[in-house]
Amino acid sequence: MPAEELGPLPAGRHGYSREQVAHHQRERLIAGLAEAVAEKGYSAVTLTDIVKGAKVSRRVFYANFESKEQCFLAAFEVVLTHLHELVAKAVEGISDWPGQAIAATRAVLAFLASEPDLARLCLVESRGAGPAVAARFNEAVGEMAPLLREGRAQRPEGERLPDSTEDSTIGSLVSLIFRKVAAGEAKQLEQLLPDCAELVLLPYLGPAEAARLARQAA
Amino acid sequence: MRALPGKENRQPPGPEPVSRDAAAADQRRRILEATADLIAEQGYQETTMEEIVRRAKVGYATFYKHYPDKEAAFLALLDAATDRTVSRVEDAFQREEGPWTDRVGAALGVLFEDVAAHPAAARAALVEAVAAGPEAAAKHEAALKRLAPLLRPGRELNPRQAALPESLEETLAGGIVWVLGQRLIAGEADKLRGLLPETLEFVLRPYVGEDEAAREAGEVADAISA
Repeated sequence: MPAEELGPLPAGRHGYSREQVAHHQRERLIAGLAEAVAEKGYSAVTLTDIVKGAKVSRRVFYANFESKEQCFLAAFEVVLTHLHELVAKAVEGISDWPGQAIAATRAVLAFLASEPDLARLCLVESRGAGPAVAARFNEAVGEMAPLLREGRAQRPEGERLPDSTEDSTIGSLVSLIFRKVAAGEAKQLEQLLPDCAELVLLPYLGPAEAARLARQAA
Repeated sequence: MRALPGKENRQPPGPEPVSRDAAAADQRRRILEATADLIAEQGYQETTMEEIVRRAKVGYATFYKHYPDKEAAFLALLDAATDRTVSRVEDAFQREEGPWTDRVGAALGVLFEDVAAHPAAARAALVEAVAAGPEAAAKHEAALKRLAPLLRPGRELNPRQAALPESLEETLAGGIVWVLGQRLIAGEADKLRGLLPETLEFVLRPYVGEDEAAREAGEVADAISA
Protein backbone atom coordinates (compact mmCIF):
# COMPACT_ATOMS: atom_id res chain seq x y z
CA MET A 1 0.00 0.00 0.00
CA PRO A 2 1.47 3.44 -0.86
CA ALA A 3 2.29 5.53 2.20
CA GLU A 4 -0.01 8.34 1.02
CA GLU A 5 -3.07 6.15 1.39
CA LEU A 6 -2.20 5.70 5.02
CA GLY A 7 -2.33 9.45 5.63
CA PRO A 8 -0.18 11.19 8.24
CA LEU A 9 -0.01 9.58 11.65
CA PRO A 10 -2.13 11.56 14.09
CA ALA A 11 0.10 13.62 16.36
CA GLY A 12 -0.12 13.86 20.11
CA ARG A 13 -2.60 11.90 22.18
CA HIS A 14 -4.25 9.60 19.68
CA GLY A 15 -5.09 6.60 21.81
CA TYR A 16 -2.82 4.20 19.90
CA SER A 17 -0.52 1.97 21.91
CA ARG A 18 3.23 2.34 21.52
CA GLU A 19 3.32 -1.02 19.71
CA GLN A 20 0.64 0.06 17.26
CA VAL A 21 2.49 3.24 16.40
CA ALA A 22 5.77 1.37 15.97
CA HIS A 23 4.08 -1.17 13.71
CA HIS A 24 2.55 1.60 11.58
CA GLN A 25 5.87 3.34 11.32
CA ARG A 26 7.58 0.20 10.12
CA GLU A 27 4.90 -0.38 7.50
CA ARG A 28 5.11 3.21 6.35
CA LEU A 29 8.87 2.98 5.97
CA ILE A 30 8.53 -0.17 3.90
CA ALA A 31 5.90 1.48 1.72
CA GLY A 32 8.11 4.59 1.46
CA LEU A 33 11.03 2.50 0.28
CA ALA A 34 8.92 0.59 -2.26
CA GLU A 35 7.65 3.86 -3.70
CA ALA A 36 11.10 5.42 -3.90
CA VAL A 37 12.54 2.29 -5.52
CA ALA A 38 9.73 2.28 -8.11
CA GLU A 39 10.47 5.92 -8.85
CA LYS A 40 14.26 5.94 -9.20
CA GLY A 41 15.68 2.43 -8.71
CA TYR A 42 17.23 1.03 -5.54
CA SER A 43 20.78 2.26 -6.01
CA ALA A 44 19.66 5.90 -6.39
CA VAL A 45 17.30 5.83 -3.40
CA THR A 46 18.48 7.79 -0.36
CA LEU A 47 17.41 7.60 3.23
CA THR A 48 15.86 11.05 2.77
CA ASP A 49 13.62 9.67 0.00
CA ILE A 50 12.43 6.86 2.24
CA VAL A 51 11.65 8.92 5.33
CA LYS A 52 10.03 11.67 3.23
CA GLY A 53 7.74 9.14 1.57
CA ALA A 54 6.96 7.54 4.91
CA LYS A 55 6.46 10.91 6.62
CA VAL A 56 8.56 9.89 9.61
CA SER A 57 11.90 11.09 10.96
CA ARG A 58 15.34 9.61 10.35
CA ARG A 59 15.44 8.66 14.01
CA VAL A 60 12.36 6.51 13.47
CA PHE A 61 14.04 4.91 10.45
CA TYR A 62 17.04 3.90 12.53
CA ALA A 63 14.82 2.66 15.32
CA ASN A 64 13.37 0.18 12.80
CA PHE A 65 16.19 -0.61 10.39
CA GLU A 66 19.95 -0.64 10.48
CA SER A 67 20.33 0.34 6.86
CA LYS A 68 18.66 0.89 3.52
CA GLU A 69 19.46 -2.74 2.69
CA GLN A 70 17.66 -3.99 5.81
CA CYS A 71 14.62 -1.90 4.89
CA PHE A 72 14.68 -3.38 1.39
CA LEU A 73 14.94 -6.84 2.84
CA ALA A 74 11.84 -6.15 4.96
CA ALA A 75 9.93 -4.94 1.89
CA PHE A 76 11.00 -8.04 -0.02
CA GLU A 77 9.87 -10.20 2.90
CA VAL A 78 6.43 -8.54 2.94
CA VAL A 79 5.92 -9.36 -0.74
CA LEU A 80 7.16 -12.94 -0.27
CA THR A 81 4.77 -13.53 2.62
CA HIS A 82 1.93 -12.19 0.53
CA LEU A 83 2.90 -14.43 -2.39
CA HIS A 84 3.02 -17.47 -0.12
CA GLU A 85 -0.50 -16.69 1.09
CA LEU A 86 -1.76 -16.20 -2.46
CA VAL A 87 -0.26 -19.50 -3.60
CA ALA A 88 -1.64 -21.37 -0.58
CA LYS A 89 -5.10 -19.97 -1.30
CA ALA A 90 -4.84 -20.73 -5.03
CA VAL A 91 -4.07 -24.42 -4.52
CA GLU A 92 -6.68 -24.88 -1.79
CA GLY A 93 -9.18 -27.56 -2.74
CA ILE A 94 -7.16 -28.73 -5.75
CA SER A 95 -6.08 -32.30 -5.20
CA ASP A 96 -4.07 -33.14 -8.33
CA TRP A 97 -0.46 -32.01 -8.60
CA PRO A 98 -0.63 -30.63 -12.17
CA GLY A 99 -3.72 -28.61 -11.19
CA GLN A 100 -1.90 -27.20 -8.17
CA ALA A 101 1.21 -26.35 -10.19
CA ILE A 102 -0.86 -24.47 -12.77
CA ALA A 103 -2.93 -22.67 -10.13
CA ALA A 104 0.19 -21.59 -8.24
CA THR A 105 1.87 -20.35 -11.42
CA ARG A 106 -1.27 -18.46 -12.39
CA ALA A 107 -1.54 -16.83 -8.95
CA VAL A 108 2.09 -15.65 -8.98
CA LEU A 109 1.84 -14.22 -12.50
CA ALA A 110 -1.48 -12.51 -11.73
CA PHE A 111 -0.08 -10.88 -8.60
CA LEU A 112 3.10 -9.67 -10.30
CA ALA A 113 1.07 -8.34 -13.25
CA SER A 114 -1.25 -6.43 -10.92
CA GLU A 115 1.68 -4.90 -9.00
CA PRO A 116 4.29 -4.08 -11.65
CA ASP A 117 6.32 -1.91 -9.25
CA LEU A 118 6.56 -4.70 -6.70
CA ALA A 119 7.36 -7.17 -9.48
CA ARG A 120 10.28 -4.98 -10.42
CA LEU A 121 11.36 -4.61 -6.80
CA CYS A 122 11.36 -8.37 -6.27
CA LEU A 123 12.84 -9.58 -9.52
CA VAL A 124 15.05 -6.78 -10.82
CA GLU A 125 15.98 -4.39 -8.01
CA SER A 126 16.57 -7.25 -5.57
CA ARG A 127 19.50 -8.43 -7.67
CA GLY A 128 21.41 -5.21 -7.01
CA ALA A 129 20.40 -4.57 -3.43
CA GLY A 130 23.40 -6.13 -1.73
CA PRO A 131 24.50 -9.63 -0.77
CA ALA A 132 21.91 -10.20 1.98
CA VAL A 133 19.05 -9.52 -0.42
CA ALA A 134 20.67 -11.55 -3.20
CA ALA A 135 21.03 -14.49 -0.82
CA ARG A 136 17.42 -14.16 0.33
CA PHE A 137 16.30 -14.02 -3.31
CA ASN A 138 18.08 -17.29 -4.07
CA GLU A 139 16.64 -18.89 -0.97
CA ALA A 140 13.08 -17.74 -1.71
CA VAL A 141 13.25 -18.95 -5.29
CA GLY A 142 14.73 -22.24 -4.10
CA GLU A 143 11.68 -22.75 -1.88
CA MET A 144 9.77 -23.67 -5.02
CA ALA A 145 11.88 -26.81 -5.44
CA PRO A 146 10.04 -29.09 -2.98
CA LEU A 147 6.70 -28.15 -4.58
CA LEU A 148 8.04 -29.08 -8.00
CA ARG A 149 9.69 -32.21 -6.68
CA GLU A 150 6.29 -33.62 -5.76
CA GLY A 151 5.67 -33.85 -9.49
CA ARG A 152 8.15 -36.73 -9.65
CA ALA A 153 5.45 -39.00 -8.24
CA GLN A 154 3.26 -38.39 -11.29
CA ARG A 155 4.91 -41.03 -13.47
CA PRO A 156 7.38 -43.89 -12.98
CA GLU A 157 9.77 -41.91 -15.23
CA GLY A 158 9.77 -39.17 -12.62
CA GLU A 159 11.93 -41.25 -10.34
CA ARG A 160 14.87 -41.22 -12.71
CA LEU A 161 14.87 -37.49 -13.39
CA PRO A 162 18.28 -35.95 -12.68
CA ASP A 163 18.84 -34.22 -9.34
CA SER A 164 19.16 -30.78 -10.87
CA THR A 165 15.79 -30.93 -12.67
CA GLU A 166 14.07 -28.61 -10.21
CA ASP A 167 17.02 -26.21 -10.25
CA SER A 168 17.10 -25.88 -14.02
CA THR A 169 13.32 -25.60 -14.23
CA ILE A 170 13.27 -22.85 -11.61
CA GLY A 171 16.13 -21.05 -13.33
CA SER A 172 14.29 -21.07 -16.64
CA LEU A 173 11.11 -19.86 -15.02
CA VAL A 174 12.87 -17.02 -13.20
CA SER A 175 14.71 -16.06 -16.36
CA LEU A 176 11.49 -16.01 -18.41
CA ILE A 177 9.63 -13.84 -15.91
CA PHE A 178 12.65 -11.67 -15.15
CA ARG A 179 13.11 -10.70 -18.78
CA LYS A 180 9.50 -9.61 -19.12
CA VAL A 181 9.70 -7.50 -15.96
CA ALA A 182 13.10 -6.02 -16.81
CA ALA A 183 11.70 -4.98 -20.20
CA GLY A 184 8.99 -2.99 -18.37
CA GLU A 185 6.26 -5.39 -19.46
CA ALA A 186 5.25 -6.75 -16.06
CA LYS A 187 1.60 -5.90 -16.74
CA GLN A 188 1.57 -8.46 -19.55
CA LEU A 189 2.99 -11.26 -17.39
CA GLU A 190 -0.20 -13.30 -17.55
CA GLN A 191 0.47 -13.88 -21.25
CA LEU A 192 3.33 -16.08 -20.10
CA LEU A 193 1.05 -18.53 -18.32
CA PRO A 194 1.03 -21.23 -21.02
CA ASP A 195 4.82 -21.05 -21.50
CA CYS A 196 5.46 -21.09 -17.76
CA ALA A 197 3.01 -23.93 -17.17
CA GLU A 198 4.54 -26.03 -19.94
CA LEU A 199 8.02 -25.41 -18.55
CA VAL A 200 6.97 -26.49 -15.05
CA LEU A 201 5.03 -29.59 -16.13
CA LEU A 202 7.34 -30.87 -18.87
CA PRO A 203 9.85 -32.90 -16.84
CA TYR A 204 7.13 -34.49 -14.73
CA LEU A 205 4.37 -35.23 -17.23
CA GLY A 206 6.29 -35.50 -20.50
CA PRO A 207 6.06 -33.12 -23.48
CA ALA A 208 2.68 -34.10 -24.89
CA GLU A 209 0.70 -33.93 -21.66
CA ALA A 210 2.54 -30.78 -20.51
CA ALA A 211 1.68 -29.02 -23.76
CA ARG A 212 -1.94 -30.14 -23.59
CA LEU A 213 -2.46 -28.89 -20.02
CA ALA A 214 -0.59 -25.66 -20.77
CA ARG A 215 -2.88 -24.91 -23.72
CA GLN A 216 -5.87 -25.74 -21.59
CA ALA A 217 -4.68 -23.38 -18.84
CA ALA A 218 -4.59 -20.50 -21.30
CA MET B 1 71.13 1.18 -50.29
CA ARG B 2 73.34 2.21 -47.42
CA ALA B 3 71.67 3.63 -44.39
CA LEU B 4 72.47 7.16 -43.50
CA PRO B 5 75.44 7.23 -41.16
CA GLY B 6 74.55 6.91 -37.55
CA LYS B 7 70.91 5.98 -38.05
CA GLU B 8 71.32 2.27 -37.35
CA ASN B 9 73.15 2.89 -34.12
CA ARG B 10 70.73 5.40 -32.76
CA GLN B 11 68.97 4.24 -29.60
CA PRO B 12 65.22 4.10 -29.87
CA PRO B 13 63.56 6.82 -27.77
CA GLY B 14 62.40 5.35 -24.45
CA PRO B 15 61.19 1.78 -24.07
CA GLU B 16 60.12 -0.29 -27.10
CA PRO B 17 56.54 0.45 -28.13
CA VAL B 18 55.83 -3.28 -28.07
CA SER B 19 56.83 -3.63 -24.45
CA ARG B 20 54.85 -0.54 -23.53
CA ASP B 21 51.76 -2.15 -25.02
CA ALA B 22 52.58 -5.36 -23.22
CA ALA B 23 52.92 -3.53 -19.93
CA ALA B 24 49.58 -1.79 -20.45
CA ALA B 25 47.92 -5.09 -21.33
CA ASP B 26 49.40 -6.64 -18.22
CA GLN B 27 48.05 -3.79 -16.08
CA ARG B 28 44.60 -4.21 -17.57
CA ARG B 29 44.74 -7.96 -17.01
CA ARG B 30 45.74 -7.45 -13.37
CA ILE B 31 42.98 -4.88 -12.82
CA LEU B 32 40.32 -7.10 -14.36
CA GLU B 33 41.50 -10.17 -12.45
CA ALA B 34 41.44 -8.25 -9.19
CA THR B 35 37.98 -6.90 -10.02
CA ALA B 36 36.67 -10.41 -10.78
CA ASP B 37 38.17 -11.92 -7.62
CA LEU B 38 36.90 -9.18 -5.32
CA ILE B 39 33.41 -9.27 -6.82
CA ALA B 40 33.30 -13.05 -6.47
CA GLU B 41 34.30 -12.69 -2.82
CA GLN B 42 32.00 -9.86 -1.75
CA GLY B 43 29.68 -8.77 -4.56
CA TYR B 44 29.79 -5.86 -6.99
CA GLN B 45 28.20 -3.20 -4.79
CA GLU B 46 30.55 -3.85 -1.89
CA THR B 47 33.72 -3.75 -3.95
CA THR B 48 35.57 -0.44 -3.89
CA MET B 49 38.13 1.14 -6.22
CA GLU B 50 40.58 1.21 -3.35
CA GLU B 51 40.38 -2.56 -2.95
CA ILE B 52 40.78 -3.10 -6.68
CA VAL B 53 43.97 -1.04 -7.02
CA ARG B 54 45.43 -2.62 -3.89
CA ARG B 55 44.69 -6.17 -5.07
CA ALA B 56 45.88 -5.44 -8.63
CA LYS B 57 49.06 -3.83 -7.27
CA VAL B 58 48.67 -0.75 -9.45
CA GLY B 59 48.36 2.92 -8.58
CA TYR B 60 45.20 4.98 -8.90
CA ALA B 61 46.77 6.82 -11.85
CA THR B 62 47.29 3.54 -13.67
CA PHE B 63 43.74 2.50 -12.98
CA TYR B 64 42.37 5.79 -14.32
CA LYS B 65 44.59 5.55 -17.39
CA HIS B 66 42.62 2.45 -18.39
CA TYR B 67 39.17 2.90 -16.84
CA PRO B 68 37.26 5.99 -15.65
CA ASP B 69 35.62 4.14 -12.74
CA LYS B 70 34.73 0.82 -11.14
CA GLU B 71 31.78 0.28 -13.44
CA ALA B 72 33.94 0.70 -16.54
CA ALA B 73 36.37 -1.91 -15.24
CA PHE B 74 33.49 -4.25 -14.47
CA LEU B 75 32.00 -3.76 -17.95
CA ALA B 76 35.39 -4.44 -19.54
CA LEU B 77 35.63 -7.60 -17.44
CA LEU B 78 32.20 -8.69 -18.65
CA ASP B 79 33.15 -8.07 -22.27
CA ALA B 80 36.36 -10.01 -21.95
CA ALA B 81 34.83 -12.91 -20.03
CA THR B 82 31.68 -13.36 -22.09
CA ASP B 83 33.41 -12.87 -25.39
CA ARG B 84 36.09 -15.42 -24.64
CA THR B 85 33.64 -18.01 -23.38
CA VAL B 86 30.85 -17.51 -25.89
CA SER B 87 33.31 -17.52 -28.81
CA ARG B 88 34.77 -20.81 -27.59
CA VAL B 89 31.28 -22.24 -27.18
CA GLU B 90 30.31 -21.17 -30.70
CA ASP B 91 33.55 -22.64 -32.08
CA ALA B 92 32.91 -25.96 -30.37
CA PHE B 93 29.41 -26.05 -31.85
CA GLN B 94 30.72 -25.26 -35.37
CA ARG B 95 33.62 -27.72 -35.21
CA GLU B 96 31.54 -30.70 -34.14
CA GLU B 97 30.35 -32.44 -37.29
CA GLY B 98 27.93 -34.93 -35.76
CA PRO B 99 24.17 -34.53 -35.38
CA TRP B 100 22.74 -31.45 -33.68
CA THR B 101 22.51 -33.19 -30.30
CA ASP B 102 26.27 -33.87 -30.37
CA ARG B 103 26.98 -30.29 -31.37
CA VAL B 104 24.96 -28.98 -28.43
CA GLY B 105 26.76 -31.45 -26.18
CA ALA B 106 30.14 -30.18 -27.39
CA ALA B 107 29.11 -26.54 -26.93
CA LEU B 108 27.74 -27.13 -23.44
CA GLY B 109 30.86 -29.11 -22.53
CA VAL B 110 33.09 -26.15 -23.41
CA LEU B 111 30.81 -23.76 -21.53
CA PHE B 112 31.02 -25.85 -18.34
CA GLU B 113 34.77 -26.31 -18.77
CA ASP B 114 35.35 -22.58 -19.23
CA VAL B 115 33.20 -21.60 -16.27
CA ALA B 116 34.99 -24.15 -14.06
CA ALA B 117 38.38 -22.85 -15.22
CA HIS B 118 37.52 -19.18 -14.56
CA PRO B 119 35.02 -19.23 -11.70
CA ALA B 120 35.54 -15.62 -10.58
CA ALA B 121 35.09 -14.11 -14.04
CA ALA B 122 32.17 -16.45 -14.69
CA ARG B 123 30.49 -15.41 -11.49
CA ALA B 124 30.85 -11.76 -12.47
CA ALA B 125 29.28 -12.43 -15.86
CA LEU B 126 26.59 -14.91 -14.82
CA VAL B 127 25.55 -13.73 -11.38
CA GLU B 128 26.72 -10.23 -10.54
CA ALA B 129 26.08 -8.69 -13.97
CA VAL B 130 22.33 -8.97 -13.49
CA ALA B 131 22.57 -6.76 -10.43
CA ALA B 132 25.22 -4.25 -11.47
CA GLY B 133 23.21 -1.68 -13.37
CA PRO B 134 21.40 -1.53 -16.70
CA GLU B 135 24.48 -1.63 -18.93
CA ALA B 136 25.89 -4.73 -17.24
CA ALA B 137 22.48 -6.40 -17.31
CA ALA B 138 22.22 -5.66 -21.03
CA LYS B 139 25.60 -7.31 -21.64
CA HIS B 140 24.47 -10.37 -19.68
CA GLU B 141 21.30 -10.49 -21.76
CA ALA B 142 23.24 -10.12 -25.03
CA ALA B 143 25.50 -13.05 -24.10
CA LEU B 144 22.43 -15.22 -23.37
CA LYS B 145 20.99 -14.30 -26.75
CA ARG B 146 24.13 -15.57 -28.51
CA LEU B 147 23.39 -19.07 -27.20
CA ALA B 148 19.89 -19.14 -28.70
CA PRO B 149 20.93 -19.73 -32.35
CA LEU B 150 22.82 -22.87 -31.29
CA LEU B 151 19.64 -24.35 -29.84
CA ARG B 152 17.11 -23.18 -32.41
CA PRO B 153 17.94 -25.84 -35.09
CA GLY B 154 16.66 -28.42 -32.59
CA ARG B 155 13.13 -27.30 -33.40
CA GLU B 156 13.32 -29.18 -36.67
CA LEU B 157 13.65 -32.42 -34.74
CA ASN B 158 10.38 -31.87 -32.93
CA PRO B 159 7.25 -33.10 -34.76
CA ARG B 160 5.17 -30.37 -33.16
CA GLN B 161 7.72 -27.61 -33.62
CA ALA B 162 5.07 -24.99 -34.39
CA ALA B 163 3.72 -25.38 -30.86
CA LEU B 164 7.07 -24.74 -29.13
CA PRO B 165 7.10 -21.45 -27.19
CA GLU B 166 8.82 -18.61 -29.03
CA SER B 167 10.90 -17.87 -25.93
CA LEU B 168 12.13 -21.48 -25.54
CA GLU B 169 15.80 -20.97 -26.46
CA GLU B 170 16.36 -17.95 -24.25
CA THR B 171 14.44 -19.61 -21.45
CA LEU B 172 16.64 -22.70 -21.64
CA ALA B 173 19.75 -20.52 -21.76
CA GLY B 174 18.41 -18.81 -18.64
CA GLY B 175 18.05 -22.20 -16.97
CA ILE B 176 21.64 -23.17 -17.83
CA VAL B 177 22.97 -19.88 -16.49
CA TRP B 178 20.95 -20.31 -13.29
CA VAL B 179 22.35 -23.80 -12.66
CA LEU B 180 25.90 -22.56 -13.28
CA GLY B 181 25.31 -19.50 -11.12
CA GLN B 182 23.95 -21.50 -8.18
CA ARG B 183 27.04 -23.71 -8.17
CA LEU B 184 29.34 -20.68 -8.38
CA ILE B 185 27.53 -18.98 -5.49
CA ALA B 186 27.94 -22.20 -3.48
CA GLY B 187 31.67 -22.20 -4.31
CA GLU B 188 31.34 -25.53 -6.12
CA ALA B 189 32.87 -24.80 -9.52
CA ASP B 190 34.69 -28.15 -9.22
CA LYS B 191 31.36 -30.00 -9.27
CA LEU B 192 30.23 -28.55 -12.58
CA ARG B 193 31.58 -31.42 -14.65
CA GLY B 194 29.17 -33.79 -12.95
CA LEU B 195 26.24 -31.54 -13.80
CA LEU B 196 26.96 -31.50 -17.52
CA PRO B 197 24.96 -34.62 -18.48
CA GLU B 198 21.83 -33.55 -16.58
CA THR B 199 21.96 -30.05 -17.95
CA LEU B 200 22.33 -31.42 -21.46
CA GLU B 201 19.31 -33.63 -20.85
CA PHE B 202 17.34 -30.62 -19.66
CA VAL B 203 18.24 -28.63 -22.76
CA LEU B 204 17.59 -31.41 -25.29
CA ARG B 205 14.32 -32.66 -23.78
CA PRO B 206 11.95 -30.09 -25.34
CA TYR B 207 13.39 -30.77 -28.80
CA VAL B 208 14.05 -34.50 -29.04
CA GLY B 209 11.80 -35.87 -26.30
CA GLU B 210 12.72 -37.38 -22.97
CA ASP B 211 14.03 -40.80 -24.05
CA GLU B 212 16.44 -39.45 -26.63
CA ALA B 213 17.54 -36.66 -24.26
CA ALA B 214 18.24 -39.19 -21.48
CA ARG B 215 20.19 -41.38 -23.91
CA GLU B 216 22.38 -38.46 -25.08
CA ALA B 217 22.99 -37.44 -21.48
CA GLY B 218 23.97 -41.02 -20.65
CA GLU B 219 26.54 -41.02 -23.45
CA VAL B 220 28.08 -37.80 -22.19
CA ALA B 221 28.14 -39.18 -18.64
CA ASP B 222 29.93 -42.31 -19.87
CA ALA B 223 32.44 -40.19 -21.79
CA ILE B 224 33.15 -38.14 -18.65
CA SER B 225 33.71 -41.15 -16.41
CA ALA B 226 35.80 -42.95 -19.04
